[in-house]
Amino acid sequence: MRRMFDTIRSRIVAGLIPLAIGLVGTALLAAVTLRQMRHAVGDELAGLRASSEIGSGLVAMVFEEIRAAEQYLAAPSAGARRLFQAAGDDAFQYERRLEALGIAGEDRIAVGRLKQLNAAIQVDYAIAHALKDLGRDGEALAQSAAVRPHAAEVTRLVRDLATRQAVKAAQVADRLAAASREREKELWLLLGGIAVVGLFLARWAMLSIHGPLSRLVTAAERFGLADAMQHMADRLRRIVGEVVRESDRIAGSAGDLSATSEQLAASSSEVSTAMVEISGSADHQRSALGTMGAGLEELRLAATEMAEAADRTAQLGEEIRTVADRHRGDVAAAGKALLDVREVVQTTSRQIGELAQLSTAIDDFVDLIKRISSQTNLLALNAAIEAARAGEHGRGFAVVAEEVRQLADESARAAEEVTRTTTLIREHMEEVTATMTAGQAKVRGIESIAEGAARGLAEIVAAVEQVEHAALRVRVAAQANRQTAERLKQQVEQVAGRATAHASSAEQVTAATQQQGASTQEMAAAAAHMLEAAEKLRGLVQGLRV
Amino acid sequence: MLRAAQLAVDQINARGGVRGRLLKLRPVDDSGSENTALRVAEQLYADPAVVAVVGHLSSDPSKAALRVYGAGRTPLVMVSPSASNPDLAGINPYFFRICPSDVQHGPRLARFAWQTLAARRAGIIYVNNDYGRGVRRAFDAEFARLGGVVVEADPYVPETRSLEPYLSRMRQAGGIDVLLLAAERPGAELALREMQALRLGWPVIGGDALTGIEADGALVEGVHVSSAYLPDRPDEGNVAFVADYARAYPGQRPDHRGAGAYDAVRLLARAITEAGGGRQAIRDYLAKVGRGKAPFEGVTGTVAFDTNGDVPGKQVVIGVIRGGRLVAEAER
Repeated sequence: MRRMFDTIRSRIVAGLIPLAIGLVGTALLAAVTLRQMRHAVGDELAGLRASSEIGSGLVAMVFEEIRAAEQYLAAPSAGARRLFQAAGDDAFQYERRLEALGIAGEDRIAVGRLKQLNAAIQVDYAIAHALKDLGRDGEALAQSAAVRPHAAEVTRLVRDLATRQAVKAAQVADRLAAASREREKELWLLLGGIAVVGLFLARWAMLSIHGPLSRLVTAAERFGLADAMQHMADRLRRIVGEVVRESDRIAGSAGDLSATSEQLAASSSEVSTAMVEISGSADHQRSALGTMGAGLEELRLAATEMAEAADRTAQLGEEIRTVADRHRGDVAAAGKALLDVREVVQTTSRQIGELAQLSTAIDDFVDLIKRISSQTNLLALNAAIEAARAGEHGRGFAVVAEEVRQLADESARAAEEVTRTTTLIREHMEEVTATMTAGQAKVRGIESIAEGAARGLAEIVAAVEQVEHAALRVRVAAQANRQTAERLKQQVEQVAGRATAHASSAEQVTAATQQQGASTQEMAAAAAHMLEAAEKLRGLVQGLRV
Repeated sequence: MLRAAQLAVDQINARGGVRGRLLKLRPVDDSGSENTALRVAEQLYADPAVVAVVGHLSSDPSKAALRVYGAGRTPLVMVSPSASNPDLAGINPYFFRICPSDVQHGPRLARFAWQTLAARRAGIIYVNNDYGRGVRRAFDAEFARLGGVVVEADPYVPETRSLEPYLSRMRQAGGIDVLLLAAERPGAELALREMQALRLGWPVIGGDALTGIEADGALVEGVHVSSAYLPDRPDEGNVAFVADYARAYPGQRPDHRGAGAYDAVRLLARAITEAGGGRQAIRDYLAKVGRGKAPFEGVTGTVAFDTNGDVPGKQVVIGVIRGGRLVAEAER
C-alpha cells in the first residue's frame, strides 16, 4: 500500500514539480529582465537629462550674458556689469560640466569651439564696455557688432549637439527595444517548452495513477474494504481535482506572466518613443526660454528706440545741412563782394602811384622854371648895368630890364608856390597810399576769414552727411536687430512649445515606468501565487502520505 | 625641456646607468595639441621598452594623454615638469608633477604686489581661458583679503587686436599701482607695447605663462614674473646644474621647464634603482616619495608628493627681468 502511494506521490511530484519550477524560473527571469531594462532606461534617461539640462543651461547663460552686455551698452550700470560677469562665470561652469560628461569625437570638438566662442564673446563685450566707459560710443557699437556672428555660431553648435544627442537617444531606444523583443521571444519559447513538457508529464502521471488506482479499488472490494477504499478514492479524486485546479491556476499565472511580458514590451516601446522625443529637454527649459523671450522682447524694444533715435538724428542732420547750405551761399556772395572791393582798392592805389610819378614831373618842371627865372633875373641885371652904361639912351631899356627882372622874381615865387603845393599833394598822396595799403591788408584778412567760414561750412555739411550716413546705418542695424530679435523670439516660442511637448513626453516616460513598476508587481504577485500553489501541492502530497 | 632631460640622462649614463643598464630617452612631440598628444601617448603606451614618461609640457595635452596612460592593463606613469592646471590634481593615480599648480601663483603674486611693491590698487588683464581665470580668481581673493582693491579685471583672447581701451579706462579711473598680466606671452607683449605707446609706467607683474618673454629687451625690463624655479637659486645642486647646462649648451640658461625635466629624469632614475624597472613598481615608488620614502632633493627644490601627485610644499618664487634674464630680486 505504502509503496503504491509512494509511487503515486512520486509520480505526481515528478509530473508537477518540474512544471512549477519551470514557471517560477520563467517568472524570475522575466522579473530580472524587467529590472535590468528599467535600470538601463533610467541610466540612459539620466544621462540624456543631464546633457540636455547642461546644454540648455549653457545657451540660456550665453543669451543672459549677451542681454546683460547689451543692457550695459545701452545704459551703463554696476548692476548690468555684475550680471554680465556672473552670467559669463556660470556659462564657464556649464562648459566644464559639459566637458566632464566624458564626451568624445565630434562633440568634443564642438564643445572646444563653444568654449572659444564664448570666451571671444565675453572679450568683445568687455572691450565694448571699456570703450563705452571712455565715451567712444561709435567704436563700442562696432566692437559689439562683432559678437553677432559668434552668437549665431554658438546657437548653431548647441543645436547640432542637441541633434546628435537626439540621434544617440534614438539609437539607445532602438537598442532597448531590440533587447526587449529578444527577451520576449526567449520568454515565449521557454513558456512553450514548459507547456509541452507539462502536458506530456501530466498525461504520463494521470496514466500512471489510473492503473494502480483501479487495481487498488479491485483489491479493496475483494478484501471488503470497499467503503474505506471508496473514501480513499474520493479523496484521491478530490486531490487530483485540486491538483488539476492548481494546475489551471498555474497556467493562469503563466497567462498573467505572458500578459505582463507583453505589457513590458509595450511599455518599452513607449519608453523608446518618448526617448526619441525627449532629445534635449526638461521642464525647467521652458521657464529659462520664457526669460530669454522676455529678454529678446527688451532687446527688440531697445532696437526700436535706437531706430527712432537714428531717425531723429537724420532729421536734425537734414535741417543742419539746409541751414549750412544757405549760409554757404551768403558767405560766397560776401567773398565775391570783397573781391570787387579789393580790385577797386588795388586800381586806386595804382592810380595814386602814377599820380605820385606825375608830381615828380611837376617838380622837374618847377626846377626848370626856377632855373630859367634865375637866368632871366641875371640877364635883367646885366641889361640894367648895360643900360646905365649907355646913359640917357639906355634909360628906356633900363625900365624894360627892371620889368623883366620883376617878372623873373614873380616866376621864381610862383615856382616856390608850386613846389610847396606839390609837396603838400605828395604828403597827402603818401598818407592815402599808406591808408590804401592798410585797407588792402584788411581786405586780405577778411578774405581769409571768409574762406575759413566757407571751408567750415563745407566741413559741417560733410560732417552732417556722415552723421546722416551713420544714422542710416544705425537704422538699418536697428532694423536688422529688431528682425533678428523677432525671429529669435519666434524661435524661442517654438522651442518653448517643443519644451512643453518634451515635458509631456517625460511625463509619458514616467507613466510608462510606473506602469512597468506595476507590471513587475503583478508579476511578483503571479510568482507568489505560483509559490503558494506549489506550497499547496506540497501540502496535498503530504496529506496523501497518511 | 628636452635638452635638460638629455643632460640628466647623459650624466646618469656616464656614471654607469641604472642597475647596470643605460637609460635611453625617446623624445616625441605633442605640438601642444590634445589630438597629437593622444596619438603619441598611444605610441609610447604600446612600446614595452618605455617604463615612464617625462612630460607633457602643457596642461591640456597632459589631460588628454593621461586618458591613455592611466587605462588598460599596463598603465604608464607620467611626471610633468610644468603642467600646472589645478584640474590635473588627482585626476588619475598615474599623474605626478614637479611644479606647483597655478593656484599657488595667484596668491604669491598678490602678496608680492601688496608687500614688496606696496600696491593698493591693482588692474588685471587675463587670458580668457581656464589658466587666466584661475590666476585672476586666486589673485583677486588674496589681494582683497590683504585689503587691496582690484580696480578692474579685463579678459582677452589670442585674437584680440588691442587692449588700449582697458588701459585707457584704468587711467581714466585714476590709475593703478600694479598691473597683473595673467596672460600668455603674446598677449602680455601686446599690453606692454600699448602701455609704452600710452606712456603708462605702472609696475607690471605676471605668472609663469610669460616664460620666454625676457628675450623681448627693453619692453619687458623690470617686469616681475612668478616662476616655479629661477636659475640663480643658491642651492649647491642647482649651481652645479646651471654650470653643467651652460657647458653642454654654451651661453644657455635653463628655465623652469628644463629644471623640472632634469629633476623628473633623476627622480625616475632613483625610482628605478630602488624599485626596479616595472611600470607599476615605478608608479608605486613615486606615490611614496615624501610619504614613507625620503623626499627627493632636486634642483627645483624638495619634491614630496601628496595623494594627488602634487608638490604642495614647493614655493613659487618671484623674479625680475634685468638685461634679458629672469633673475631673483633681493627682497626689500
